[in-house]
Amino acid sequence: MADRVTLVGGPSKIAARGDVWIVELPRFGPEGTHYHTYGLLTPYFKGLTEGRLLGTRCANARCPISRGAGELWLPPRADCPDCHQPMVWDEVKPPAGYIYAYTYVERGGTGLEIECPYYQIDVKIAGVGTIVKSYLVDRQPIKIGDKVRARFRTGAEATHTALDLYFELVR
Amino acid sequence: MITFAPGNLRVPKWTRPVYMVAAGTTDYRKRYPEKKLEELCMMAFRMLLEENDLKLDPLEVKGLFNFASYGEFADHFQDQLLCEAKVHDYLGLDLLPNVGVKTGGATGGSAMLVGATSVASGMSDCTLVLGWERMDEVKTWTGNYYIASAACKDFETRLARNYASYYAPMARRFQEMYGVDERVRAAIAVKNRGYACHSPYAQQAGRHTIEEVLAGDIVSDPLRFLECCAMSVGSAAAILCSEELAYKLTDHPVKLYIAGGSHTLRTGDRRPMRIPLLPHETEEVYRQLYAEMEKQDGRWPGFESFGATRFAAYMAYRMAGVQVPIEDLDLVETHDAFTISDLQTYGDVGLTLYGREQDYVTSGNCYHTNPHTGQPGKCPSNLSGGLLGTMHAVGATGIFQCGEVFWQLQGKYDKFHGDPKLWARYGKTKPADWTSLQIKDPRRGLAISHAGVGSHVTCTVLERGW
Repeated sequence: MADRVTLVGGPSKIAARGDVWIVELPRFGPEGTHYHTYGLLTPYFKGLTEGRLLGTRCANARCPISRGAGELWLPPRADCPDCHQPMVWDEVKPPAGYIYAYTYVERGGTGLEIECPYYQIDVKIAGVGTIVKSYLVDRQPIKIGDKVRARFRTGAEATHTALDLYFELVR
Repeated sequence: MITFAPGNLRVPKWTRPVYMVAAGTTDYRKRYPEKKLEELCMMAFRMLLEENDLKLDPLEVKGLFNFASYGEFADHFQDQLLCEAKVHDYLGLDLLPNVGVKTGGATGGSAMLVGATSVASGMSDCTLVLGWERMDEVKTWTGNYYIASAACKDFETRLARNYASYYAPMARRFQEMYGVDERVRAAIAVKNRGYACHSPYAQQAGRHTIEEVLAGDIVSDPLRFLECCAMSVGSAAAILCSEELAYKLTDHPVKLYIAGGSHTLRTGDRRPMRIPLLPHETEEVYRQLYAEMEKQDGRWPGFESFGATRFAAYMAYRMAGVQVPIEDLDLVETHDAFTISDLQTYGDVGLTLYGREQDYVTSGNCYHTNPHTGQPGKCPSNLSGGLLGTMHAVGATGIFQCGEVFWQLQGKYDKFHGDPKLWARYGKTKPADWTSLQIKDPRRGLAISHAGVGSHVTCTVLERGW
């Protein structure tokens, strides 16, 4: 088995409508495709393909929770759940953290695009209030607390999905 | 919300009490080609009307129905929208109104919640609650993908397409945080699958050992095959009604209280908050826990606990007057889709303090007979065999759990599990070593119906009404 996890799926097609990406999710051939919009989260998915990890944060000084200085949300969300105002985008810098939880996926459900086995990891990043779920490209034994950094599938390699974000161990 | 305003914590106040008077079920199988879905629903419906010793004839009871609340988890599995209309018609209940309820794994519990409120409000005097799932039209790994559609489609589904892989990180984190021995998780699988050996409905009964569980194939590390429930087919049903009607139908009605809670399906999005305290808890009892969490960068409910379960218990206990769960409850059915979710739930429902879930299981209190003392366990869990041993035909599960608690309260475990004819009905032979799991004079029981990685949870308190 290779040391590094690879993807077995191809890229998802996308169509742009204005600033928004609509991703094609085929089911039953061309006529059965779902056209799924990334809506206001399009900058996140675009950002991955450009090698940038973007989150959102609440900048509303009247928000009862963030007081205008909220931690980043990753996955991002366009609107703050605490005050309902639009959030602002910020780049996660550096896009690195530590493994907060993990599992070694021996087998996935039908249609899985990641080559098994692999580690699905939950990553805690300083300054990010949430814990982001992703996958690890390394296959060697890991433990909670191990440091990881984000990697991206960019350009021609991009899948235009959340799989464009993955992590590798920091040695 | 990570902080509540007082209005959010209003305890539900029904306008009149709600009673459960009958339960019905099919047996459960991984594949059930012998019957169509609506035919399985009819099996559960007939048991409901015909076998609960009601004082009226089945068709007279049917003549009391005003409303039906149906539980079906996934249209994907049935490959049929408006399945509720097909079932309702098949049971001969047209033109009565019905609603279909969908809250993932908690669908059965939520169908009970909707059914209960229909009676509590006065809209209905007598409500049918019935749920089903048919998970055998597709291969298991496609079924796993369907279930993983309950993970976030944009950010998480593609990261496994297998639901065990969303529970496994919780198991890992819980294990590290509280120093849990994986033998404790394995013991849960052994216990529940063992209890299933006494149930004619059970799909995965088995006498296993801890070593066997731990030596099994891994589904998603650290969860082994025997720690995960299976695809399941079947149906379960209940009758809920007003107090007046309850005593007309039976001398042994069971009073029912139910409340719900919910939380994001992305575990990592669960921001830290203070633990909503149950009636017997104080801030003081968790001071040390908060301090320990801080050391390990932990948070509540985080990956270790289910906020939705705690919220549902917070409300249901106050509705039912449960003060000290371990003293006031005589049995519980947890949603043991995975061993880890069973373990996590004991803290959420206050049978023990958060952080001491492992000790609770090893204490033996969750056993029918405490293995250390040979005495009855204080609050046996999943005597039905649970999801691990008996069934998880998802839309039926929460209803089935209430049914098993209901029969225990009525003292009818033996009637509904020990009759050789019942075993024969499902093509089985009653085991020679069958033993009764009836507990002695139970007064109150609890049933937890649970979705996603804790996205929706209902907590039902059932109490002897006589």
